[in-house]
Amino acid sequence: MATVQVLSIATPPVPAAYKPPSVPSTSRISAPHPSGHRTLLPVGPAYINHLRLSLHHSHSFSSLDKHLAAERDRLAALHGEDNAGEDDLGVGEEEEPEELLALDPKEWKKQDHYAVLGLSHLRYKANADQIKIAHRKKVLKHHPDKKAATTTAVPSSLFLTGVNQNTNDDAFFKCIQKAHEVLNNPEKRRQFDSVDPVFLELEEDMPTAAEIKSKDLDFFKTLGPVFELYSRFSKAQPVPGLGHIDSSKEEVEGFYDFWYNFDSWRSFEWLDKEVNEGSDSRDDKRYTEKKNKSERARRKKEDIAKLRGLVDMALGLDPRIKRIKQQEKEAREAKKKAANPAAVVKKTKQQEEEEKKKAELAAKEQEEADKVARAEAKKQKAAAANAAKKARRQQRAVEDGGAA
Amino acid sequence: MSKLQNGASSRGASATPAPGTPTPATGPTSLLPPVVGINFGNSYASIAVFTKEGLAESIANEDGERQIACAIAFHGEEMYIGNQAKQQLVKNAKNSIVGFRNLLGKKFSEVPGSEHPTLSAPIIQHPDLADTIAYKVEVLQPAPSPLPTSAYTTPAASHAPTPRSEPIPSTRILTVHDVTVIFLRSLLKSAEDFLGKPITGAVISVPEADTFGEKQREALKAAAKEAGLNVLQLLDEAAAVVALTTTALWSGDGEEQQEGGEPLGKDRTQLVVDLGASALSLHLVSVREGLSYVLASSHTPSVGGDKIDDKLVAFFAADFTKKTKVALKVCPATAVADQRAEAKLRLAIEHTKRTISASPGAATCSVESLKDGLDYTGAVNRMRFDMLASPIYAAVADAIGALLARAAADAHDVDEVVYVGGTGCLPGLDSRLCVQAGFREDVQTPFARGIVVGGGVGDPTTIIARGCAAQAALLDALATSDAQEDKEILAAFEAGAEANQVKATTKTLGVLFPNNLPENREVGGTWIPVVQRETALPVRRIVALDVGVEEGSKRVACEVWEVVEGIRTEKVAPPKSSDDEDDDEDDEEEEEEEVEVKHRTLAKHALLAALDGPAQLAVQTKGKGADRGRWFTRVEIQFVVGIDGDLNVELREIGGAEGLVQRVHVAA
Repeated sequence: MATVQVLSIATPPVPAAYKPPSVPSTSRISAPHPSGHRTLLPVGPAYINHLRLSLHHSHSFSSLDKHLAAERDRLAALHGEDNAGEDDLGVGEEEEPEELLALDPKEWKKQDHYAVLGLSHLRYKANADQIKIAHRKKVLKHHPDKKAATTTAVPSSLFLTGVNQNTNDDAFFKCIQKAHEVLNNPEKRRQFDSVDPVFLELEEDMPTAAEIKSKDLDFFKTLGPVFELYSRFSKAQPVPGLGHIDSSKEEVEGFYDFWYNFDSWRSFEWLDKEVNEGSDSRDDKRYTEKKNKSERARRKKEDIAKLRGLVDMALGLDPRIKRIKQQEKEAREAKKKAANPAAVVKKTKQQEEEEKKKAELAAKEQEEADKVARAEAKKQKAAAANAAKKARRQQRAVEDGGAA
Repeated sequence: MSKLQNGASSRGASATPAPGTPTPATGPTSLLPPVVGINFGNSYASIAVFTKEGLAESIANEDGERQIACAIAFHGEEMYIGNQAKQQLVKNAKNSIVGFRNLLGKKFSEVPGSEHPTLSAPIIQHPDLADTIAYKVEVLQPAPSPLPTSAYTTPAASHAPTPRSEPIPSTRILTVHDVTVIFLRSLLKSAEDFLGKPITGAVISVPEADTFGEKQREALKAAAKEAGLNVLQLLDEAAAVVALTTTALWSGDGEEQQEGGEPLGKDRTQLVVDLGASALSLHLVSVREGLSYVLASSHTPSVGGDKIDDKLVAFFAADFTKKTKVALKVCPATAVADQRAEAKLRLAIEHTKRTISASPGAATCSVESLKDGLDYTGAVNRMRFDMLASPIYAAVADAIGALLARAAADAHDVDEVVYVGGTGCLPGLDSRLCVQAGFREDVQTPFARGIVVGGGVGDPTTIIARGCAAQAALLDALATSDAQEDKEILAAFEAGAEANQVKATTKTLGVLFPNNLPENREVGGTWIPVVQRETALPVRRIVALDVGVEEGSKRVACEVWEVVEGIRTEKVAPPKSSDDEDDDEDDEEEEEEEVEVKHRTLAKHALLAALDGPAQLAVQTKGKGADRGRWFTRVEIQFVVGIDGDLNVELREIGGAEGLVQRVHVAA
């Protein structure tokens, strides 16, 4: 639509005596400058609209208006979603509950670094860029300088009116910095992810075999998420999933193969006891380190055992294994039947018995032979000993005679 | 199964973004078109790109220069481009190339001997190509690298490389095309370095067609293509100026409200004063809601900043002689020492001129070892400078007078003056022109609006480049659009001429609300111009205003007229000084001539239609004030003049659906 030029004038009313003049029917506007007399400068959006008007809309303003409105709608639809400012890679805004803001930076080892940076919904899946963005967001919000400037504390008493009570309120900022430090360092982040508090919670309420059996829980619905939970620790990605009831034999075998040979990056340095850096007792330090090391190894071992137990349990409960075994058996029998339906079975039974007897006989014979051989060997040994004694005695006699 | 594959480990996550996170969408920065606007003058060039703020801004090159000298110099193995090359004019003049733009696309025989450069590398006939202008420069070519040592060819095999031999003196022949390619490439590189991404399109300014013909434009396009620029359009300098002055940023409405200043009207007659180093170009442009055309233009090659330089150099040379008693003859200089001193002074006064333009105080000029080992430091204040430059200012004013006379326009018709070019920065020029050319009191100039200094939008040195950038962004949007219509429009840009020829109105159309107010006696009512003269057809204009109505009849009546606007000149005796204490002063005043005062006049030309009807939505003004108790209604009047000259007028009461609507059609 064309722009409306709004004039800030108000005309006085028409005099009552005013009579509209008669317009001569031949009146025309003066002939315009003929085409070619004036040459437009080919610049600006107005010129483009002029081109549109003359090339496509046969000089009709209403047609151009329609076109421009349609174009505007199209562009609005095109840019509507991603026009909301800078893209934050899905970091978003998270609520900050009171207890989070009240965190003590001294207890940083215990804090949930993802929650501090507002990445609870991403956790171990957050990538470096997202962490960077989340950190920036938090810093912008919680920087001590900013807090001091925009203090909103309602003074608790009249005497404190106008006194900034927020000056020393950089505790949460320190928590943010610590969280960023941890998550920005791949090694530290790995250690933290290994003992991610949310993961530990989930790990707590893992179902046991007895539970599944007694409560008659669905195998796949119960254990599927558990394996999914653990798959994050695998060095090899992607990790095969538990699958479904109709998974093929290869898939099932592949799954158990993978999980029995699970190569985990999980480690437990995070739970180490602090080595007292201040003390100059080397022994003290070494003792702590040694203890930490053994503790780590123990935890790792436990972790491996736990996972192994989980896989064992799954294997034991897996309805597919029974099915596969059944299928294998059937296949074997079908094969045998196809080769020699009745004889094979009978022959084998007779043969088995015969073989058993033969084996027993052979064992008996062998035993006897062994006994004989042993007795023989005893005799020979005794004889040899006697001979040696004799020889020594003779030699001594000779030596004595020689000396006399 | 597929779900689990999403579980990327934390360590791998940084390398491969976890699935499920959205792919980085195009942020606001990537929406900026990677285009560059280039003002390619004969003496100086400037480049402009779109910055993060979404504004076309002139950017500096690697040397920090926004005004990049069009110069290339060769010294030994080195090649200098831009202002560094200009410094070479002092000691290495024969290897420095300046002023090549105007030679682009010309044949050797077309350039008369008088136009050959004297202070820089001489132009010669190309030894191989027929009738081609070339520059011959002395360079040092790096010696060919020695052959690699080989155990088989040398008796004593050594792993130490043989040192390179000294570079070999040689000559290099460069055509104007080669020089332009080198220069444009350096401009492109500056822009790409600034934006950090490749440039996809460029708009380059060129002088108007009668000085820079079709052949020269083709040559420039070829050179730009070879330099790696995708030329979207070659813009006349006047068009580049208009591209910027029709934006909301310039006229000061919309969000970018200028402090204090009134927004400029959408319809205005602009005078573009392009005072470059070597020539003066004047354009009288009619701007009508963004559509614009040149009413008249003139090109005066004899007037330019170089003439001011001459005066200033002569002034400083005389000052030097006065201070040191060392003779220094410049403009023109004959002795070699004088020539060198003149070159040094010319380089130094660039700074002096810029200081004069920027600040009201005195500007200094310092040259080390100007002549005979003597240093020079002098100063010039604005008043002295304006006195020196006065002949040039006068010449510009005369040229403006001649142009207006040719266009059959009066100085009072000019609504806005726009200055372009380095010399246009001088405040003395503006104040002189306003007086001598006889513009209106309320004429809008960049100086009056205070948008020149401090990187304002009115900075004369960057207007063209920024206009080019704005235009490049428009064309880039068309080029990247996939609509068929946009493609055709882009094609129309290339084809050019046909679509640019337009019909335009010759007289102003408007409405007259009859009343008996004494100040409206001339036409018998309140005159509201709607479609100004010199507006390209087809045109649509809408104005909205309050109309007073009688309480009883609620009558709204108006007449559609075509009028002739004119200027009436009246000679008025100057007002007598009230205090007659001093007799001498009185005598002087009596001798003074009568002062010419100009008035705008209106003469009704033809009555086209009359509208009359009762208002339906009139309201009574409440509260206090002069209008208390009166009845008003708000109306919108739309004028549509078709391509053939037929007129449709629609008067519509706004504020409700049941308002008064009256339509009149006047056939062509």
